Amino acid sequence: MIDLLDFWRDSVPQLLDGLEVTLRITGVALALGIPLGLALALGVQSPTSSIRYPSLAIVEIGRGAPALILLQFAYFGLPSAGLSLSSFAAASMALAWTTGAYTSEIIRAGLQAVPRGQREAAVAVGMTHIDGLRFVIVPQAMRIAAPALLGFAVLMLQASSLCFAIALPELLSQAYIIGTNTFRYMPILCLAGALYAAICIPASLAVASIERELSRHTA
Amino acid sequence: MLSVSPREERADALVSRREYVRVEGLGKSFGPHRALDDINFAVRSGEVVAIIGPSGSGKSTLLRCLNQLETQSEGSVTLAGITIDAAKPATRQQLTELRRSAGMVFQSFNLFPHMSVLRNVSLPQERVLGRSRKEADERSRALLSRVGLEAKADQYPNRCSGGQQQRIAIARALALDPKIMLFDEPTSALDPELGLEVLAVMQELAEAGMTMIVVTHEMHFAETVSDRIIIMADGRIIEEGPSAEVMRRPTTERAQRFLNAVKNR
Ligand SMILES: Nc1ncnc2c1ncn2[C@@H]1O[C@H](COP(=O)(O)OP(=O)(O)O)[C@@H](O)[C@H]1O
Ligand SMILES: [Mg+2]
Repeated sequence: MIDLLDFWRDSVPQLLDGLEVTLRITGVALALGIPLGLALALGVQSPTSSIRYPSLAIVEIGRGAPALILLQFAYFGLPSAGLSLSSFAAASMALAWTTGAYTSEIIRAGLQAVPRGQREAAVAVGMTHIDGLRFVIVPQAMRIAAPALLGFAVLMLQASSLCFAIALPELLSQAYIIGTNTFRYMPILCLAGALYAAICIPASLAVASIERELSRHTA
Repeated sequence: MLSVSPREERADALVSRREYVRVEGLGKSFGPHRALDDINFAVRSGEVVAIIGPSGSGKSTLLRCLNQLETQSEGSVTLAGITIDAAKPATRQQLTELRRSAGMVFQSFNLFPHMSVLRNVSLPQERVLGRSRKEADERSRALLSRVGLEAKADQYPNRCSGGQQQRIAIARALALDPKIMLFDEPTSALDPELGLEVLAVMQELAEAGMTMIVVTHEMHFAETVSDRIIIMADGRIIEEGPSAEVMRRPTTERAQRFLNAVKNR
């Protein structure tokens, strides 16, 4: 028992390094992916087919292909096309794509939930289409989508553990390295799991309370 | 209390005024459904026209064609010097110009719920007229006080009553200095007392000389505030004339039936 606690204590610094990478890659995936999701949500609604079809393709591939395959494609596949990425850059790209594809659906539902009268009011006061989106429709749609987006962010934090497959030194990779060196897989995986839970459970609770808060401030 | 405006005198004066709206041969189909059929009328500067008629008769569609929220299937609309013809698509510039000239007030207010009352009124001025934030806010506060709601400037719309929201919507439309105001059943979603405060603002606007087209079920307003009444049924204008005449001596049988129905309600 004392031995186990010592083992955990010795491992914590390395796992915290991994956790930092996990948070960074999740942050980058969301920071790139959610704006991409918004662009795709608008893109798939575009009346211009040269915008609509590429948007649809990006969404369908991003949702259809497992994130693990996108990761491996970015890390192992792109070099053969002459583009070598660091594991962090490859992971950012792949996870941003997944994020963009999934959040575009969430945001599209948000856009559709904005009452039609809002669009008409923006048009009737003479605002351009772009201004109407920028000031009237998108802010309301994002507010409606916020709880689902935050829920997705928590899932993405967990999904970032897939990056272990391309040797990104995130939390799961670090745990795995410790396991290989010490052959004590179970205890280290439990500790890594506890660290994921320590972030995800409070985050989910926060999402629920934000959801209640937001529902109070809509039309 | 609604005062009786000297409508007879105004009617004479109106003849010489400029035409702000002309609608010619206007038709609108939704698929096989004919919502508007061969609508013709004109509105002069300073005139207040009430459009009444049974539900589904095309009143909203007509108003929405005037500012091109709906594009007509046939005919033309001329508003504040801009002509939009069904035969050729309107340019973006024409549409912007048209919508700047026509302020629209909806039955369901359609305020922007995520902005303060002040932002609701200021934002269109900034984006459409290019006013600075300071200029726009000054104008907004002046208009909000004109509709009696200066104190609500920093609140959110959902903290205001329906009547207050509709008055804010009127201020938002007025802020663009429109040449004409279009109202689509502005009091239908409101309790009677709240409707009265909106009607009072509209009457004040009418007396200040604003050109207005008002779709309404408020017969008292139509009779006392408007100069002219248009009665619609089944997508057509069935009766048109000076308010008192139309209300007292409608010429067509269909108009008589409609007026009897609403008066006996
Ligand atoms: N966007 C639309 N699509 C199909 N039919 C419509 C649409 N808007 C209005 N209509 C039809 O056109 C007719 C006139 O509607 P409307 O102008 O709203 O009447 P009113 O305002 O006088 O009640 C109605 O029969 C209505 O169902
Ligand atoms: Mg209507």
